[in-house]
Amino acid sequence: MTMLNALTLFHSLPLAELEVGKQFYWHFGNLELHGQVFLVSWFVIAVLLIASILATRNIQMVPAGTQNVMEYALEFIRDLAKNQIGEKEYRPWVPFIGTLFLFIFVSNWSGALVPWKLIHLPEGELAAPTSDINTTIALALLTSLAYFYAGFSKKGLGYFGNYVQPVSFMLPFKIIEDFTKPLSLSFRLFGNILADELVVGVLVLLVPLFIPLPVMALGLFTSAIQALIFATLAASYIGEAMEDHHGEGHEEH
Amino acid sequence: MMHWTILLAAEAAAEGGKGGLFDIDATLPLMAVQFLILVALLNILFYKPIGKAIDDRDTYIRTNQADAQERLSKAESLAKQYEQELMDSRRQAQALIAEAEADAQKIAAQKLAEAQQEAQVQREQVQRELDQQKQEAMQSLEQQVDALSRQILDKLLVA
Repeated sequence: MTMLNALTLFHSLPLAELEVGKQFYWHFGNLELHGQVFLVSWFVIAVLLIASILATRNIQMVPAGTQNVMEYALEFIRDLAKNQIGEKEYRPWVPFIGTLFLFIFVSNWSGALVPWKLIHLPEGELAAPTSDINTTIALALLTSLAYFYAGFSKKGLGYFGNYVQPVSFMLPFKIIEDFTKPLSLSFRLFGNILADELVVGVLVLLVPLFIPLPVMALGLFTSAIQALIFATLAASYIGEAMEDHHGEGHEEH
Repeated sequence: MMHWTILLAAEAAAEGGKGGLFDIDATLPLMAVQFLILVALLNILFYKPIGKAIDDRDTYIRTNQADAQERLSKAESLAKQYEQELMDSRRQAQALIAEAEADAQKIAAQKLAEAQQEAQVQREQVQRELDQQKQEAMQSLEQQVDALSRQILDKLLVA
């Protein structure tokens, strides 16, 4: 509790402050929404849409400018999906995995790079949408649905065969896995991004100048890595669900 | 660090009755819906056109490359063919030259032989004429000798 007292002491300083777990509530009927998450996510969505429109406004055979950048991004995503899902079936999954990657990546970096603190909300503060547990759980659950859908659409009810592969006593573990996958996905992302923002916040609180810079750079790195990890794992889960166990298709992920 | 966040989260939750880090509410489903809409929008605005551009370029490059390969092999075969033809015609030319030379030599030899023969014939003719004239001369000389000797004899006999 002394730590808490120290924190409240810092609160009284005008330089910086740290808010954790405070939400800017919006009410729709009897629904409660986290306004700050939606505001920043709309910003992220707008960034992505504008970049897409700029890139595709005037498509040329020899790419230049935005088109070049976005083509690089798309090829990166395609490679990622191809590596995890396989040459034959990756194409329909590129939009989902790619959007996961882009949304998380832009969210994380917007949280780290955009000085949201300059915009004051009545309560809570603007931050990366991925530092809110709701967002990460939503993304993780969508990933779960995606890989179930992938498995069932590829194999029908034969998908349940996956649960007893390669040996039948794997069944309980495989069932547990279905719960741990979204859990680990969502908490990994949430924890990393929130922790990064908190570390930067605390360091800024303690030493407002220069010292937080290396940590911020590290934060940018972790943010990018987390987006990559989330997209790669989602792709690998989807690939795993569609994997053929009859052939030699055993790939270690 | 973890302590702080957990404590703070717990405190926030305790204070307001709501809020905190693990405050799950309607944000979750709405975020999921929003994300799916984003997937659909980006699919139309980004993945399809850019993917099409990339694929088009790939096929363009591939067909062009195949085309170029084909043309290159065609050009190579053409060059080989021309070389072959060149060699053939060179050989033909050489054969022609050799033939012409042989012909010329033959003609020259023939002409030479003919000329020699003609010369021989002429010489023989001239010789024959010469011989004849000599004989005629000898004959007339003999007649004259006869006449003279008869005159001499007459004179002698008369005297």
